[in-house]
Amino acid sequence: MATATAVSRLAVLAPGTSPLAPGRRRPAVPFPTVSRPRVLSAASRGRVLCLAASAPASSTDAGQDRLQKVPITNIRNFCIIAHIDHGKSTLADKLLEMTGTVQKRDMKQQFLDNMDLERERGITIKLQAARMRYVMNNEPYCLNLIDTPGHVDFSYEVSRSLAACEGALLVVDASQGVEAQTLANVYLALESNLEIIPVLNKIDLPGAEPDRIAQEIEEIIGLDCSNAIRCSAKEGIGITEILDAIVTKVPPPQDTLKNPLRALIFDSYYDAYRGVIVYFRVIDGSIKKGDKICFMANKKEYVADEIGVLSPNQMEADELHAGEVGYLSASVRSVADARVGDTITHFAKRAESALPGYSEATPMVFCGLFPLEADQFEELREALGKLQLNDAALKFEPESSSAMGFGFRCGFLGLLHMEIVQERLEREYNLNLIITAPSVVYRVNCANNETVECSNPSLLPEAGKRRSIEEPYVKIELLTPKDYIGPIMELGQERRGEFKEMNYITENRAKLIYMLPLAEMVGDFFDQLKSRSKGYASMEYAVVGYRESDLVKLDIQINGEPVEALSTIVHREKAYTVGRALTQKLKELIPRQMFKIPIQACIGAKVIASEALSAIRKDVLSKCYGGDISRKKKLLKKQAEGKKRMKAIGRVEVPQEAFMAVLKLEKEVL
Amino acid sequence: MLRSAFPLVFQFPHRRKPPPIPPRPPPVRRYASPAAAAAFPPLPPASAYVHLPFCRKRCHYCDFPIVALGSSSPFPRGDGDDPRISDYVRLLLREVAATRPVSDDGVPLETIFFGGGTPSLVPPKLVAAVLDALRGKFGLSACPEVSIEMDPGTFDAAKLRDLVGVGVNRVSLGVQAFQEGLLRSCGRAHGLREVHEAVGIVTGCEGLQNWSMDLISSLPNQTQDMWEESLRCTIDARPTHVSVYDLQIEQGTKFGQMYTPGVFPLPNETDSANFYKIASKRLSEAGYQHYEISSYCKTGYECKHNVTYWQNRPFYAFGLGSASYINGVRFSRPRRMKDYADWVQKLEDGTWCPESSTSELKDMAMDSVMLSLRTASGLDLHRFSKSFGKNLTLSLCTMFRPFVESGLVIAMDTERQALQLSEFDVDLENKGDTGSRVAFIRLSDPDGFLLSNELISLAFGIISP
Repeated sequence: MATATAVSRLAVLAPGTSPLAPGRRRPAVPFPTVSRPRVLSAASRGRVLCLAASAPASSTDAGQDRLQKVPITNIRNFCIIAHIDHGKSTLADKLLEMTGTVQKRDMKQQFLDNMDLERERGITIKLQAARMRYVMNNEPYCLNLIDTPGHVDFSYEVSRSLAACEGALLVVDASQGVEAQTLANVYLALESNLEIIPVLNKIDLPGAEPDRIAQEIEEIIGLDCSNAIRCSAKEGIGITEILDAIVTKVPPPQDTLKNPLRALIFDSYYDAYRGVIVYFRVIDGSIKKGDKICFMANKKEYVADEIGVLSPNQMEADELHAGEVGYLSASVRSVADARVGDTITHFAKRAESALPGYSEATPMVFCGLFPLEADQFEELREALGKLQLNDAALKFEPESSSAMGFGFRCGFLGLLHMEIVQERLEREYNLNLIITAPSVVYRVNCANNETVECSNPSLLPEAGKRRSIEEPYVKIELLTPKDYIGPIMELGQERRGEFKEMNYITENRAKLIYMLPLAEMVGDFFDQLKSRSKGYASMEYAVVGYRESDLVKLDIQINGEPVEALSTIVHREKAYTVGRALTQKLKELIPRQMFKIPIQACIGAKVIASEALSAIRKDVLSKCYGGDISRKKKLLKKQAEGKKRMKAIGRVEVPQEAFMAVLKLEKEVL
Repeated sequence: MLRSAFPLVFQFPHRRKPPPIPPRPPPVRRYASPAAAAAFPPLPPASAYVHLPFCRKRCHYCDFPIVALGSSSPFPRGDGDDPRISDYVRLLLREVAATRPVSDDGVPLETIFFGGGTPSLVPPKLVAAVLDALRGKFGLSACPEVSIEMDPGTFDAAKLRDLVGVGVNRVSLGVQAFQEGLLRSCGRAHGLREVHEAVGIVTGCEGLQNWSMDLISSLPNQTQDMWEESLRCTIDARPTHVSVYDLQIEQGTKFGQMYTPGVFPLPNETDSANFYKIASKRLSEAGYQHYEISSYCKTGYECKHNVTYWQNRPFYAFGLGSASYINGVRFSRPRRMKDYADWVQKLEDGTWCPESSTSELKDMAMDSVMLSLRTASGLDLHRFSKSFGKNLTLSLCTMFRPFVESGLVIAMDTERQALQLSEFDVDLENKGDTGSRVAFIRLSDPDGFLLSNELISLAFGIISP
């Protein structure tokens, strides 16, 4: 190991005289510092081999040298910006494969998407990074790919990971063209002064029109596409060109090795054995194993017990310099202490100022999470606690409801974040949950001149006791090709949006600004925007403050019993539509029972929508053959189990699915 | 008499030593409270079910363990036996021989039921052999009920006479429908002509008074008129017993592949419920008592064998896939011939003994509820209370209260006279302590019966929360 370290130092100091001169085979040397099993598997195979750059066979071998230091001028930090399904993960996989970072036999699809959930949904939730070694013109380069999450809920995280890069690959499907998600992130990238390399992917598909799409990128984003790379990540076409372009176009990091340490945290996760693992990019100075460090925003001190690089498995290193990307473990107890955007500096030699752009996580959307079985409450608390260790944006506090029992009111960055948390609770912690409709924090001005904050419809002070309700508003900026201005304005109108201004930023694209109640946006606004603009519109928003609105509490009654969990706060003008949609959906979803069931939507005592569920007529198993009652009993037991999974609302058994679907519907119609 | 009809070939010499006595099954109801044990003294079974799995072909709705023979000789009567049948009966006799009677003091069998399959495909002398074996092993009471299932087109007058001659005294005739088209679309191996012939043979058979007609309602493309016609024909044939089964679409059957319950050509739920109500009405008008969800009879002609099941009493069972209930243990034999043969071998070797997981108290309470609520006699609350406790009984009653109110459940006194809701309420308030009048609860006919699954599963929820 000592040798290896010495070698790496040497490489930094005297790049020209690297002992690993191209073309000369070097005897195999064990890989430096390997302490964990997950690294071991990769490392036990790992050998520092020669750097025969020209020979394709050994270009994969060269990847094994990725721990070696290169001069800062040979470091390239980049990310990939792409719309969902445009092939980001496939391209990332190919880059890892081509550079030998991941051996072909270890390749599982979409290597960077670690969570099952990510791989299933094709989205990136947690960030990842991979250090690759690439040799061009006999010169070794260190390429760091920093993955970005692709959803508006995580735009803060996106902006921080962009801030850790100097360049970005803009991957656009050569048959689909530029889409919404891409745009918002491209603009973020342009704001961060990233060098953007346009890449037209999927050129192997029959519908590919790279020329047209290149022109589109030029028009919409205003990016020179004359040298856009045409590739097919799936077929492995154009990958070398991409790697070459990263080397030639993306600027190297600034050489600020002499400055005091400043490293940007762009992600962190909680490891049950080692505490929080922090992913960072060294902006200035250098960080060594054993350094006493300090996180500038949370003002806490730690010792960097372990540092290393991500490739994409963690590989320990002794020191990381300005421009490099890596991880550290410093017995940090919760990810909330190592918040994305925070700056790492040395305790003894503090940087003067933190890196710009840090902000606290503010939950925007709230909902109630209730365990289906009351005895899972403690498990839910524990699970939320564990998720919080790894998710600084998740907030929760206990709540109880007569229909749902004990649960938690939770705050999320947005709807996707909420869905992810819910799914992880169910999948990873085996909890069965009922989730109430998402809501925002209302301010209720009470008759006694008090102001109460309320995010839970069932806790809204009674109509007689409140003077007015204020709700949070957002300023929302929409970018759209001009063809979709009409449908988008309709959407804005439907969502109680107040039109502010519109101007054309290019001949074909317009920017619209609306003031919109946040409650209207936490629903499926984003999905609607995408579907109404065929995916071309993008949006950004910021909360601007509270405004008084004519809001009412809409209650749902099943067989005369109010179902608190289904209560919502809506604008008076929308109450009727929402009420009808909810009662109709419930009628579909509640299994018929042995008696007729009225389902009503009410404001106060006034019924505004009503449906009736007819009674079951027949449910009988007639034949009990040859005394074999076991099958019949099994069926009846199953039926009884089914009833257990239902929540009794008065005499009515309501299955969890009905709650779920109605809550989902609430998200859509509200 | 039976001896003479019993050919020598079926007196299988014992090729091996008598099997060692299997280890005595663990004490019944290990988890049962003493009260429960007192309520259910381990009665020796007085009933035996014998499965004769042979059919011409599989009906499209059937998922029972059967052996399809194809359309071989129409009325096998002794000579030229199908070896598949004789081999099977041989196996069956081995099972009977290897079965240890529950009591040594010899409680004789009171009912025997040959079910299938199509037992009428089995030659009478083989039926006789089985009867003989049962008699030899367990003894028969003075006038046992011996039922056999018969399908139209599988027997003639002579064969039925032979069966009656060997001791069969009750026939269950699988007619299912009185419409040629419906019979064909169910994949029945007979047509309407055979139905009428069979009815003629059965009603003309001397020494056979007790017979049942099986019908199926809610068949694909069945209309209300067709159903009324089937009921009329049934009533005209004057059977002493009628079984009306509501078509169940089972997975893995042809119907299961072709149809979805409630979707055309199957009748929708309303029509299907209506068929059930019509049957109840027409048969009651014709003097039949609706004594169980799917069974009707003239006074005194209940199927004693089936009543054993509803009363949760023990019974032996023999043959492929059959289910027995002995010493508190329910056991289903393997459904595949090879597995069944292996199992019989183990039984003989004494290497098989019933699973030791005897029913828990909860399960027994569930059995008791699900079986008794199928009958017009209903659930005996005093007995139930004795076995499973007053609290459980009270919880059940409380749960059923809204349904007593809506008329799906009927509370009855010791004379099985319906009680008013107010009287039921009084008992609920008294917690059944003093002056309690409610002795039974039953499901009403037809509305309660029609919702029996819902009502029984609610009861299950109370028993096993």
